[in-house]
Amino acid sequence: MSSQTTKVRAAVVGLGWRRFKCRDRMKSLYLTFHVYLAFARKSFQKQMQYRVANLAGLTTNFFFLLVQVFVYIAFYKASTEPQPLSIDDIITYFVLCQASLMLMPLWGGREIADTIKNGSVALQLTKPVDFQTYWFVDECGRAYYYLFMRGLPTFLISNIFFKVTIPQQPSVLLAFAVSMVLAIFMSAAITITIFSTAFWTLDTTGISGIAASVITFFSGMLVPIALWPEWLAHIARWLPFEGLIDVPFSIYLGKLTGIEIWIAIGKQMAWCLFFIGFGRVLLNRGFSRLVIQGG
Amino acid sequence: MHPLSLYFHFVKLRIRSQMEYRLSFIVELFAQASISVIDFFMIALLFNRFKQLAGWSLWEVGFLYGMIGICFAVAEMIGRGFDAFERNIVRGDFDTILIRPLGTFYQVFANEFLLRRLGRIAQALVVLLIANSQLSVQWSLTKVGYLLISLMSGTCFFIGLFVIAATSCFWTVQSIEVINIFTHGGVFMGSYPFSIYRWWFRHFFTFIIPLACVNYFPALFLLGKIESLGVSPIGVQLAPFAGFLFLGIAMLFWRWGVLHYQSTGH
Repeated sequence: MSSQTTKVRAAVVGLGWRRFKCRDRMKSLYLTFHVYLAFARKSFQKQMQYRVANLAGLTTNFFFLLVQVFVYIAFYKASTEPQPLSIDDIITYFVLCQASLMLMPLWGGREIADTIKNGSVALQLTKPVDFQTYWFVDECGRAYYYLFMRGLPTFLISNIFFKVTIPQQPSVLLAFAVSMVLAIFMSAAITITIFSTAFWTLDTTGISGIAASVITFFSGMLVPIALWPEWLAHIARWLPFEGLIDVPFSIYLGKLTGIEIWIAIGKQMAWCLFFIGFGRVLLNRGFSRLVIQGG
Repeated sequence: MHPLSLYFHFVKLRIRSQMEYRLSFIVELFAQASISVIDFFMIALLFNRFKQLAGWSLWEVGFLYGMIGICFAVAEMIGRGFDAFERNIVRGDFDTILIRPLGTFYQVFANEFLLRRLGRIAQALVVLLIANSQLSVQWSLTKVGYLLISLMSGTCFFIGLFVIAATSCFWTVQSIEVINIFTHGGVFMGSYPFSIYRWWFRHFFTFIIPLACVNYFPALFLLGKIESLGVSPIGVQLAPFAGFLFLGIAMLFWRWGVLHYQSTGH
């Protein structure tokens, strides 16, 4: 009887202990999350300073969109063959492209290279903050700024001038949202990977330029992959960059259905993890050969 | 020293300083070319699917593309001083320019020279040459001269845009980014025949921003496509001069802007 009570008591204590430990871990996890969330918010606010530049960018986005639409309308007018995407699909595709242009891994990251170049990376490494995670959330904060301050206005204004399709099923919208978030994550991971090469080259203009051309090409930002010749589209399907533009927008347009959506999102996740891992390896190698001049 | 030889002296110095980082220079040259190769490849992809665009074949469009590409890249190479003028104002460097015994326009112009644009120039030139070999243009001395004048005029047009953006810095300090619509956007829209655009769009880019005059009309003339358009041939032949005129107006604007310069301090 007494032994049983002890057993129960021990179990209760153990449970309490475990619960306490669990809560402790949750708390530290929450705190970590909180810190990085604050960094993301800071990054968001940093972009807020450039409100006029954003307005100018919005105008530029819209201009390019207009020219793109003119060009595609002319192309579609000349051709009688059935196409995999209708002209309405194309217009919607490019509206989304221009709306999410600033989320692509083409704009940010210069600061990462700068911290490496001017040596302030040493200071950053002494802080109890993970270098990669810090820049990851910094990039995400920037992306969310442009999602709301550039993407949303571009999308809404475009609705006035063009016929933009909006998916009717909530499940499609949900899948699109998930896919878009993954695209943002992947974009952040790619940016960090590109600019961590500053450990080796110091001047990243060349590498980021080449990366930009590969990304613009294989993401389907200039021409939707559905319109590419088959052999080239096949190559694009094996590369990660379609996950930035073509995958989320194909989901949006309803060109991917059912299991295809899951496969596409799974692929996005895998590539996302790949770039995070690859960036980590690259950064760790960079840290190990880092020499700071001066003090 | 004669201003012109002084200019070449400046350019030589700029080139030498850029060649200091040789590897980075070569990588950048390659990056420049790769971006623009992809650019044209995309147009080719569209033609592969749709065959033609408003009566224009791929290589006719390639001709347009090559012309505007060369103009813009040359303008960026030699007109960099105006393109990057913003930092002169932000840092207060313009004060130094004002106290030197040379014209401000000349000094800012001679201030920078971006050699790495050669990559882009080479790519556009290659597209133009291939396009030419695929088309049967009857070249005569007049036509070659006309092409050269058009290219110079296009370059002047883009430099004029840079000058306008730079001049606006006298008031706004930071460069007006909307100019990107006309520079980068101009290259983008100039790569396609103007007939695909709406009338208001076309007219704006002919009479107010004379982009069509330095690219589309000359190409129409050179490719022998004037008949397809209701424009008088003489108008088309005189069109390229709009680029020089545009630069002239931009220079007047610059002169006026300098009078309004207020230093950011130092």
